[in-house]
Amino acid sequence: MTQAKENKILLVDDNLLFLNIMVQALKKTGWECVTAMSAASAIEKLSTDIPDIILSDYEMPGMNGIEFRQKLMELEMFRDIPFVFLTSLSDKETIEQGLDLQAIDFIIKDTPINVIISKLNNILLTVNKQRELSTLEVQNAAKALNIKSIPQKKPEITGYDINFWHRPYNDVPGGDFIDFIQVDKRYTYVVLGDIMGKKWMAWYFTFGYLSYVRSAVRFATLSNEFSPANILQKVNSIICLDDVLQDILSSLSLVLIDTESGLITYAGAGDLPLLHYNANTQQLQQVTTDGLLLGMFAGVSYTEQQLVLNPTDQLFIFTDGMIDVADNGKIKTDYENFKYKLSELLTAGISFEEIKQQLFNLSPDIVVDDQSIINIVRTL
Amino acid sequence: MMIDIENVTDSYVSLKSNVTEANLNNSEKFKAELIAFIDEHNKKVVLDLSSISYMDSSFLGALVSSLKHAIASKNDILLVGLKPDIHNLFSLIRLDKVFKIYKNLTEATAI
Repeated sequence: MTQAKENKILLVDDNLLFLNIMVQALKKTGWECVTAMSAASAIEKLSTDIPDIILSDYEMPGMNGIEFRQKLMELEMFRDIPFVFLTSLSDKETIEQGLDLQAIDFIIKDTPINVIISKLNNILLTVNKQRELSTLEVQNAAKALNIKSIPQKKPEITGYDINFWHRPYNDVPGGDFIDFIQVDKRYTYVVLGDIMGKKWMAWYFTFGYLSYVRSAVRFATLSNEFSPANILQKVNSIICLDDVLQDILSSLSLVLIDTESGLITYAGAGDLPLLHYNANTQQLQQVTTDGLLLGMFAGVSYTEQQLVLNPTDQLFIFTDGMIDVADNGKIKTDYENFKYKLSELLTAGISFEEIKQQLFNLSPDIVVDDQSIINIVRTL
Repeated sequence: MMIDIENVTDSYVSLKSNVTEANLNNSEKFKAELIAFIDEHNKKVVLDLSSISYMDSSFLGALVSSLKHAIASKNDILLVGLKPDIHNLFSLIRLDKVFKIYKNLTEATAI
């Protein structure tokens, strides 16, 4: 597992000696440093590496510090990175110009290095605190409006035990959504979706998608139409017509549990293959369908698979965040590794609660996506 | 820039990504650069993604969205150099049915 995330700073200065001194001092106090000797080089580095804060010299050949800040303000993905000017100038006009460009602070160059570092630590602490408060406010607002994309409790279905686990990326609600739609005592739909994005923006769109899925299920079942594939096709057609959801794609696994026949019917849209654990043979098998992501192309068709869950058989439905693994401190996607580990635990007769402890324990520092999994166990 | 231009011929433009971890932090910018290349050259794009060792769903969404843009302007995006983990992910979620995927530029431009 990796250690707690270091603060990353981008230092921009044409004075190599000053850069080296700053890097040495910052590294000693646990900072990760990226350096650039010009504003142009800094913009280049920003395109592949986003720091937590930028400390930039004011006087540089080519683009000066103010022009550099102006350039970043024009670019949406860079404008909110905390920006601090480092300058030997202390004239009022320069400072005013910088503050107009939402620079967080000015540090005079001959300030002792340890004071500069303390200032940077304090700035980042304040910015992060403010971000946490903003997140908390939106979370409270969502709570007050009673809008949820993840259920509070598991459904009660005769003959089945349903478990689920969800962890949002960075503890901010994101693009995964889960629902259990109980049509009547006989039929229940299990829904797991993943909007292709993260955090608040993806979370916002989960409600559009969930509303369409719920409506499509309700309209279909009112007409005695239960096919998950047909429901997915309708949901996809509506989403492709909705301008608000244009370019917002989602995967979706839709599973119908029929308690009377004991059949499970599954249709998927760009989702990961489900895993079916056959308790008798102790084999974990992939269950696949061929549907494309929702919102990709109008008019595409979806297919469904029927399977029988025998007593103590299990079915696992999950999003891509579940199959990320840490490999030498780097993250990688590995479905086979997840399948192998899950298979080992299931063969050892371990319960979902214990699997949660053993398998879903990636450090939050290395998790880079929402994680969701639903487990359906046939009990009768 | 996250995408470098490698070659332009009458029939295609070949591009190479220099991103290692493709995620929410860079997906929108990558998409903007890719769409700008498609619009500027107005021809088939062969995109080398061999630099990418991890791709999250935000980035996959950006790629699909760029493909939709290319198709709307009667162009296409061909992917080459996918690392095995990434290629496997494309197959698992059926994106290999949507993108034309080849081993390398030679294979992609052979037809």
